[in-house]
Amino acid sequence: MKCLLIASESAEVLFYWTDPEFQQNVQQQYGASQEEGQGLPAFEDSISTLFAPIIISCITMVDRLGDSYASFTTENNHIYVLHQFDECLYIAVNGDGDEDEDDLRRKIYVMKKMIEVLFGMVTLSTLLRKLRPQDTEQRGRLWNQLQSLLETYSHLRENDQSFLVEAVERLIHPTLCEQCIEFLERRLVQQLNSSAERAGEEVMHAFILVHTKLLAFYSRNASSLVTSDLLTLIIMAQNMYPSSTDLEDAGPEDAESTSGSGPDVFYTPEPSPTEGDSNDIPVFEFVDPDIQMAEDSLQTLRVPPPDPSTPQRVFLEVSLKEGLYPMMPHSMYCLPLWPGISLVLLTKIPTSGLAMSIYVFLEAFAKLEKRLREGHEGSAATRGQPAISDLRGKLDKFIKALGPSDIQSVPLLNVWTEFKNRAFAKGGPGFTKLIPWCKNMRMQLCGIFRQCFLIDSGSRDAPRHLSPGLQERAQTLVEKLMDWKEFLLVKSKRNITMYLEEFPGLIHFICVDRSTGQMISPSLNVTEHSTSELGKGPVAQFIKKKVWGLVNTTRRYLQKGYSTVTLRDGDFYFCYFLWFENETQGFKLDPVDLPILPDDSAPIGMLSWDYYKLRRFYSKNHQGEVVRCFELLTIHLGIIPTEIILQHCRQLASKLWEPSRNPLL
Amino acid sequence: NTWGRILTWGYSCSLREEEDPTRKGICYFYPEETPIDKQELLCGQLAGAGRCVSELSSSPVHVLRLRKNKFAIRMKDDFFWALSCSVDVPTASVCELLDHLISLFCFYNGSVRQSYQLYRQDTLAARWAQYLSHHQGSTDLHHIFSCMKTIDSTNVDPLLLLKAALILQACQRCPLVLAGCILFRGRVVSTQMSPALTMKVMVHESETFIKSLISYGAYCLSRAHSTPCKDSQPRKPRLSRTLSDTLSTDSDPSDPGSSQSPLKSPCSSCRSSSDNAFSPGNADQLLSSNSPLPNGKLEEHEDSFYHSFHTNGGDITDNSMNSLGLEANCINGGTEGYCRRMLDFRGAGETQASHDGSMRRKSDHMLPSSGTGSPDSQHNDSLMPMMLYLHRVKGLVLALLVEKHFLDDSASMEEVYHSSLAALNGLEAHLRSVSPGPPAAQGPYIFAHFDSIQSTLTSNLSGRPGVVHERPFVRATSLLHSHFCNTETLQEAIIRSAGAAVYGTRSVAQETYFLQHGGSVKNSGIPNHQDSAFSLPTKARHRLLKHGINLL
Repeated sequence: MKCLLIASESAEVLFYWTDPEFQQNVQQQYGASQEEGQGLPAFEDSISTLFAPIIISCITMVDRLGDSYASFTTENNHIYVLHQFDECLYIAVNGDGDEDEDDLRRKIYVMKKMIEVLFGMVTLSTLLRKLRPQDTEQRGRLWNQLQSLLETYSHLRENDQSFLVEAVERLIHPTLCEQCIEFLERRLVQQLNSSAERAGEEVMHAFILVHTKLLAFYSRNASSLVTSDLLTLIIMAQNMYPSSTDLEDAGPEDAESTSGSGPDVFYTPEPSPTEGDSNDIPVFEFVDPDIQMAEDSLQTLRVPPPDPSTPQRVFLEVSLKEGLYPMMPHSMYCLPLWPGISLVLLTKIPTSGLAMSIYVFLEAFAKLEKRLREGHEGSAATRGQPAISDLRGKLDKFIKALGPSDIQSVPLLNVWTEFKNRAFAKGGPGFTKLIPWCKNMRMQLCGIFRQCFLIDSGSRDAPRHLSPGLQERAQTLVEKLMDWKEFLLVKSKRNITMYLEEFPGLIHFICVDRSTGQMISPSLNVTEHSTSELGKGPVAQFIKKKVWGLVNTTRRYLQKGYSTVTLRDGDFYFCYFLWFENETQGFKLDPVDLPILPDDSAPIGMLSWDYYKLRRFYSKNHQGEVVRCFELLTIHLGIIPTEIILQHCRQLASKLWEPSRNPLL
Repeated sequence: NTWGRILTWGYSCSLREEEDPTRKGICYFYPEETPIDKQELLCGQLAGAGRCVSELSSSPVHVLRLRKNKFAIRMKDDFFWALSCSVDVPTASVCELLDHLISLFCFYNGSVRQSYQLYRQDTLAARWAQYLSHHQGSTDLHHIFSCMKTIDSTNVDPLLLLKAALILQACQRCPLVLAGCILFRGRVVSTQMSPALTMKVMVHESETFIKSLISYGAYCLSRAHSTPCKDSQPRKPRLSRTLSDTLSTDSDPSDPGSSQSPLKSPCSSCRSSSDNAFSPGNADQLLSSNSPLPNGKLEEHEDSFYHSFHTNGGDITDNSMNSLGLEANCINGGTEGYCRRMLDFRGAGETQASHDGSMRRKSDHMLPSSGTGSPDSQHNDSLMPMMLYLHRVKGLVLALLVEKHFLDDSASMEEVYHSSLAALNGLEAHLRSVSPGPPAAQGPYIFAHFDSIQSTLTSNLSGRPGVVHERPFVRATSLLHSHFCNTETLQEAIIRSAGAAVYGTRSVAQETYFLQHGGSVKNSGIPNHQDSAFSLPTKARHRLLKHGINLL
């Protein structure tokens, strides 16, 4: 029984996702009829009625006690986690015991992150309207998209190690990776960016995904993509081209036997001398009946795949000389090469300069509002930020520039005029009673942002994305990889092998470089057919469960400031280490006191919030040095002497990131 | 102050009562000086949201977290309890504590619902305050493990412990005596009762002890047919560790499933303390008068006296109105009879009148209405009346749980009294002469050793709040203890922050935590087998041997 709900302060449901069991439960309780055609709105109503008292109570608590609910746990172990972001209250529910409070909180934060990537700065103020379009059909479409993203994420979180630890996993093959990067740079990005058909877009990043693993990544101009954005894009790519869509290619029998597979189906890569993706028979053994039911019900809601040539608008963090700009508009082209392998292009759109201006203005008004709320009045309110007159000039110019375009800038102009009258007019009230006007300005700016970047420009004459021809060319260019296809698919399932001889007694490990957001780990294949170092079927399933549990446990300790943990648990011995290194000199740094975080702090990881940014603490003492942060988790057999286990850990820690010495390559 | 607040709130599901102002429904709120608006707001919101969630999940809310606070929640009958502790106490322990407080209330007062029908709210509020204040004296470590306070056995001649156990055994020669414990200055010397039950008895004892030995109240105990109020960790009561007849069939106390079943068996016919169906009973404090004790009236009673009181039969809820009424009547009849006899026995003529008076006053309140039993019977917590017999010799107290009609049996009473008198005097003199000694010398290390079967804690922690260097140890212990509780297979753990490394290990019956002081070890956090954190298990094994703890 699971549910995720977003509600506004007026207890209006802005978005919900439930599994069939939860839906059934609500309907039973509410006695709502599930008539044909009426099912959806009726359920929406009943869920909002059921949750309304909790939502209202939550708002009362914030208003009157300055505190609010973080979670409820019932005797039958249903967990409700609540978190408020600005005006939106998120509620996540689990009643089947496979997620704990931390998992639910993570889900909430990830949901928020995905919404930010999809809607950009609109989330800063006017998200409410955006998430709940008035039009039922439009609402259904939007909610389906979000629901499906959430399910894809949940599936990856439960099955993919890189989403477990929230770091990108690379395919480890230095030569091939290098060749691919070079190829992306020289052949692909340069060609696309010099083409006339690019409609003003400029490819900034290009990468190749094999399932969820990164084969090669190329960025222009030394710009880079933050890990959280990259992980979100991988979720979106998986959601767009889930491996399960290829089921249709398989024979009818196979399709039937695997109809319950989630979007991230594991393939058994078999050598295929002939072309034909149909040889890629998906194998999916472990199907929980509930999951299957969820998947089935999802099928009926799934919207038809979007026109492949239309890019998905995404909003990503950009770091420039001037500073950090979050949520800058990009276009995402996800081009399937072969089942399981896709090419992703991220382009900067021509009008992205506009987004930067809007962000600067939004920031300025948010800061002003904050100062006013804190009780600063008059000129004190504007202290500590660029001269208000400067802002005034810039905003005047900005609105003027908007004038001739077909963007509706009149409301913004009106509010701005009113704001100026109040703030700058001689004898006027000055910088008092401006809080509602700051809010209003932010809302208008978000409105402009929405018009510029979120509304389809179908009516425009010029196409605003790479032409389909160009996209096709990009696809064919990469087909040079064809020779490697089978190898890559196998490699993605068997990324690291050969560690058993080197480290007797070692069962599994995960090593993460938090500075680059990358992880290395042997694959965990839990299917009956693919045997890995961990054995197959139930054994692998058991160890997988241990790994997932261990990661959750160590995060709880890390949250409370413990960076080293060793546990003797049943027949196993677990180790966890987090440490810092100085990149240039390679020496280890003394441990710092890690912050002790409250129980309901943002989840530790990189997808929703980069916990490991705390390595910046070091930068204060080590000016100008690059500080790197590493994590290592190992699982050994319990009978191995502790000294040997620690020696293994040491070896792994020191060698893993140096390709020349990496024993696993 | 380790306490946040407790609030108990009478909350009815019926619409009519829901319209009542919230403040009327608040039975007790701690801290009591909280403005009523705030009490009302908190109670109203927590109970309202809690009920809403409970309905959605068809199960009562157990734990509720706010951003800055967390509450253990119980919803039972029409009552709603919320308890919050300091953040360092693990959630599981807060839940345990709340369950303990509720069952403690039931132990002395009978079922909650009935108590609130019979007694004035402020009387009961005073009792909640009393139970709370008893727990406030405990250290964080005691809260974490929910354990008993025991005398420091390292300072005491083992023969004295044996002697205490023998006294208890001797008392059991009287078939009406069920089980007992001996307490000295608020700490357990020897007990035949389960830790949960001993802790309940101690609340009363330590309270009177604190009140400088000259006050006492009348207590009634009820005996349970089944688990009275839900005990968070229903354990099969263990008999005294020194008793040879400790049941060998006792199952693992950490397994609540197996320990629960015997509690459910009716035990009205049980007479001896070896009957393990015995469970925390229910008692009713009838008198809270602090009457001065007669001094010098009777030679042998100068320092040593006992009292035992009688019961409120209204708790028996066998679905049978007849038996209920009957019981109540006969008990009421017996109350005064016994009261007099007891006072006669003590020869305290002066105080007789006042005692009689107050007793009668209370008796009026006590008359149970025949209808009150029925709601409780739905919750399976039918309680059986029992008596608590207390015999005090200065700082030493012999507390015996006895059958109700022990009171009517003056021969038995005298036998118990006289058979233990001399021995108790001797024991008291010996215990008094044992110098308390410094609280276990603080070495270059801190440890805590928890015996989960006897629910006792050994530690060299000063326990004083605000000892800064002990904070990291308490925090780590709290985290590790919850981890041990949640993960059955976990045997040992080392966790290290930049400042401190703590080693924790557990077996079926015990948990041990160890921290080694010493210059901050230079380490980068990178795996290193020479790291001193990994030598903690060896060090703990060596160091703790001299505290009588064997980790091998």
